[in-house]
Amino acid sequence: MKIKVILAVTACKLTIKLLRLIGRGGTAIPGKIAIRICPDLLSYLAKDVNCIVVTGTNGKTTSSRIIEEIYVRNGASYFANRSGANLINGITAIFIENSTLTGRPKKQNAVIECDEAASKEVCRLIDPAVVLVTNVFRDQLDRYGEVSWTLQNILIGIKNSPNAVVCLNADCSLTASIASQIPNKVIFYGVDVPIYKDPVSEVSDAPYCIKCKHEYEYSYRTFGHLGGFYCPDCGYKRPEPQISVTDILKSSVSSTKVRVRVFGEDDVITINLPGGYNIYNAVGALAVSEAVGFARNVTKDAIAGFSCGFGRMEQFDMGSHSARIILVKNPAGCNQVLNYLSGLSEKTIFVCCLNDNSADGKDVSWIWDVNFEKLEDMDELIPEIYVSGIRSGDMAVRLKYAGINEAKLKVFDDYDALIRAMTKQSLPVIIMPTYTAMMDLRAKMSSAFGGKEFWE
Amino acid sequence: MKLNICHLYPDVLNLYGDTGNIICMKKRLEWRGIDADVTLLPIGANADFTRFDLFFIGGGQDFEQEVLLADLHSGKDREILAAVNDEKVFLCICGGYQMMGQYYLTHTGAQCDYIGALDLHTVGSDVRMIGNYMFGCSEQSGGATVVGFENHSGKTYLGNAVSPLGTVIQGFGNNGEDGTEGARYKNVFGAYCHGPMLPKNPEFADYILQRALSRRFPGYELSPLDDSLETKAHSYMVNRMEKQ
Repeated sequence: MKIKVILAVTACKLTIKLLRLIGRGGTAIPGKIAIRICPDLLSYLAKDVNCIVVTGTNGKTTSSRIIEEIYVRNGASYFANRSGANLINGITAIFIENSTLTGRPKKQNAVIECDEAASKEVCRLIDPAVVLVTNVFRDQLDRYGEVSWTLQNILIGIKNSPNAVVCLNADCSLTASIASQIPNKVIFYGVDVPIYKDPVSEVSDAPYCIKCKHEYEYSYRTFGHLGGFYCPDCGYKRPEPQISVTDILKSSVSSTKVRVRVFGEDDVITINLPGGYNIYNAVGALAVSEAVGFARNVTKDAIAGFSCGFGRMEQFDMGSHSARIILVKNPAGCNQVLNYLSGLSEKTIFVCCLNDNSADGKDVSWIWDVNFEKLEDMDELIPEIYVSGIRSGDMAVRLKYAGINEAKLKVFDDYDALIRAMTKQSLPVIIMPTYTAMMDLRAKMSSAFGGKEFWE
Repeated sequence: MKLNICHLYPDVLNLYGDTGNIICMKKRLEWRGIDADVTLLPIGANADFTRFDLFFIGGGQDFEQEVLLADLHSGKDREILAAVNDEKVFLCICGGYQMMGQYYLTHTGAQCDYIGALDLHTVGSDVRMIGNYMFGCSEQSGGATVVGFENHSGKTYLGNAVSPLGTVIQGFGNNGEDGTEGARYKNVFGAYCHGPMLPKNPEFADYILQRALSRRFPGYELSPLDDSLETKAHSYMVNRMEKQ
């Protein structure tokens, strides 16, 4: 065993070094090599590490970044898979990077963002102390299939985490249904009130009761299928959260101030990112922090001061004006960006970059489940829309059929031309790319305007 | 002028952006000065089927199938049959296409009875037929080349009473075996084509609309539109698949 561990760790560390020497930051291949040499390596490496696992469809990265900031401000030693390497290979590689050659951990804690499908295997191997499930939405149907399948994978992951405190989004009928199927201690978190005055109308990803298939009723909705759901047939309903947002006090383009109730105590927190979905990410992270037992005032500071970067509301300074990148992966996330746009007070250029590589989802049909029609109401606010990416053709057609005047649409076949156009004009820019479009565009923008390599 | 469109089961058959077909039909009619009145008919809702000119059924998740079949067999199946026989135009995609057939046989051997409007049936398999695909519509269905995305594990086999909608150029189509894609019977058009089907296949979209308009307003001819964006998106996928 020991020999195998040393071999696997050495091989992985060497491959990572080699890849970086040639300017690549990948961790999937080094991880794969290590697992090939020693299949149970991860469980060995994670044995003495206190692990937080963050999974769910949307918000994994932002939630993980907030949790990281909480560790930083508590002075705790930790590591995290910050480059979005959230499958078993990448996660194994990050544990190796943070262990000695003999497989002893260099740090006591780990914040691990984990793909929903990979969570069952990852949880089995690392035996997490806390699991946070953010939500379950439709996502990349070519890869994941139905939401019930995704949910099933997450459930198995938690069943493989017998020692974990499980933090669940109470407002998501799919996520909350996990609670009755596990013996673990559960902390529910949620938002008790609507978030937007005039949210985009969108199809619910879960209109029918997960337990009895009767249609849900809602006392209020925040967005998507999230909110105060109630099944009039079997009585399954939103559980009472121990941690909840009770009022939205102030939202601006860069932050949101909310009133929260944490185990019966009222408090006010400022979330250092705009957007309704980031309210969920913040209270989810707060739930994790309570599960670990961190001091609440330090956690509050972390939520008020974290920065996310890496395509999640990441800001680039283009001289006289700025650009923000908001990564999208599915209709739910995309609709949230439209909600965010509609709340802006300043004229803005909107940029959509649609790719169809496997990390984006090979099927681009989902853009028709996004309520781009909402952009029609923002005619004054958004004078021009730029379109780019591998499937810019499909994106342009979608916007045309959403009622956008073709004269407002500008299609760019490559990112250099797109960046030139964004720089030349003077309005702030909001860029909404899919994953691989974000990676490509971000790399170009980082070298043009400054920024970090993605593995830093 | 007005066309009455019925969107069947928008509450459950709403996966993979198929609703884009409704958006597309509505816009292409409006751009020609024709009103499009879209009636949503979710589970439990009823309507007078005789007033509709065009029906759309999309694909959905297996999870809601039971709820849907109960509603279908409580009377809507007979109304749909009558509308089909009355030469009403139907566009049926993926799950909605399968549902117009006789039955679905799961790979464990259980049979699920469907509407039976079309002489075809579907057999479940373990292998998912998934990816960008392209097919050529037969002459009797307009002859357009259609690009889209297929994602199904069911293999559909056509009986003698229906014709294939077209011939597969790239991808799997009905079953990955006989080179056919979709089905055509009277004015019913069934296909596995997500994407959604109509927006970047404007020639086929207009073919469907023309069928519905001709039935309601004999002699009416659709005027051409500026389809440069649509054609660009269409041609990009044709070229990409031809290179494969």
